[in-house]
Amino acid sequence: MAGNQRRVITPESQLPLAPATFQILLALVGGERHGYAIMKEVTARTDGAVRLGPGTLYGALKRLLKSGLVEEGGERADPDLGDDRRRYYRLTKLGLRVAKLEARRLDTLVRAARKKKLIGLEPA
Amino acid sequence: MTAERVYRLLLRVYPSDFRSEYGREMTLVFRDEYRTRDTNAFAFWVDMLCDAGQSAISIWAHAALARVRHHTRTLEAIMKLAGVLAVLLGLFEAVNALTELVPAMQGTHGGAHFAAIVLGFVAAALLITAGTALFRGTLSGRHAATIALAASLVTIVVARLTHPWMSMLSQLVGIASPLALLAAMHWPRRIEPSTSAPS
Repeated sequence: MAGNQRRVITPESQLPLAPATFQILLALVGGERHGYAIMKEVTARTDGAVRLGPGTLYGALKRLLKSGLVEEGGERADPDLGDDRRRYYRLTKLGLRVAKLEARRLDTLVRAARKKKLIGLEPA
Repeated sequence: MTAERVYRLLLRVYPSDFRSEYGREMTLVFRDEYRTRDTNAFAFWVDMLCDAGQSAISIWAHAALARVRHHTRTLEAIMKLAGVLAVLLGLFEAVNALTELVPAMQGTHGGAHFAAIVLGFVAAALLITAGTALFRGTLSGRHAATIALAASLVTIVVARLTHPWMSMLSQLVGIASPLALLAAMHWPRRIEPSTSAPS
């Protein structure tokens, strides 16, 4: 029975990702970041269209840590933000693989939308 | 009361284990966000309240789901053990009936004795069937095990009433084990509240 089998986490089993989750993984592709840096990067990249609140961010990070897509990279202060020590997060190999697969999945969707002329040939 | 204190109060909407793990980090992020906000304070707090409300529901739901999964895994392990036990008890009953079969075939106690022993074999086979079904661990397996255990119980009682061939131990095993297994399978359980969800 399926419930008896030990659940194996494969990259494909993680797809599709929730939009906030994919945004977090994208932010971490550039290297390890603390929570506030992730929020800022997501807001900047989406021109403010996506704003992750602290609850959404850390709820998603907790799930990403549990599923092995992200790992903690230690605690240290960010000189730009003061002396408080902050927990840094970074992508695992599995996380990077999942992010690539999700990007590919979205790319396929966008190509299909272009073929149907839902959007122009050039990126909007 | 400072904004940060208000936010710390707002954190109480989250499960305590989540709060203790991420509360400090979330407060730091809140402080940075509050300091660099590009909207007025009212709009900022509306955003914070919406974020806390939505994420708290999701986090509570995930914690509850994790507890249910943990509970289900424990139950599956118990059912597997019960399955092995039922098979062993069924084999014990079968061996017991086999040792009685020789005098019964010599016809010293008549046909009723022989019929009772055959019923004893049937009860043992049903117990083994129930154990195998329980070991499979599927929902249909549990249903099959329930039917097989009930049938085994009825059969062993009929066998005992047909002819008193069984020892006290054999009767105890034949009657008590299906009853105990049925009770273990169908006893109402509640999920114990815990402060932290199993990971």
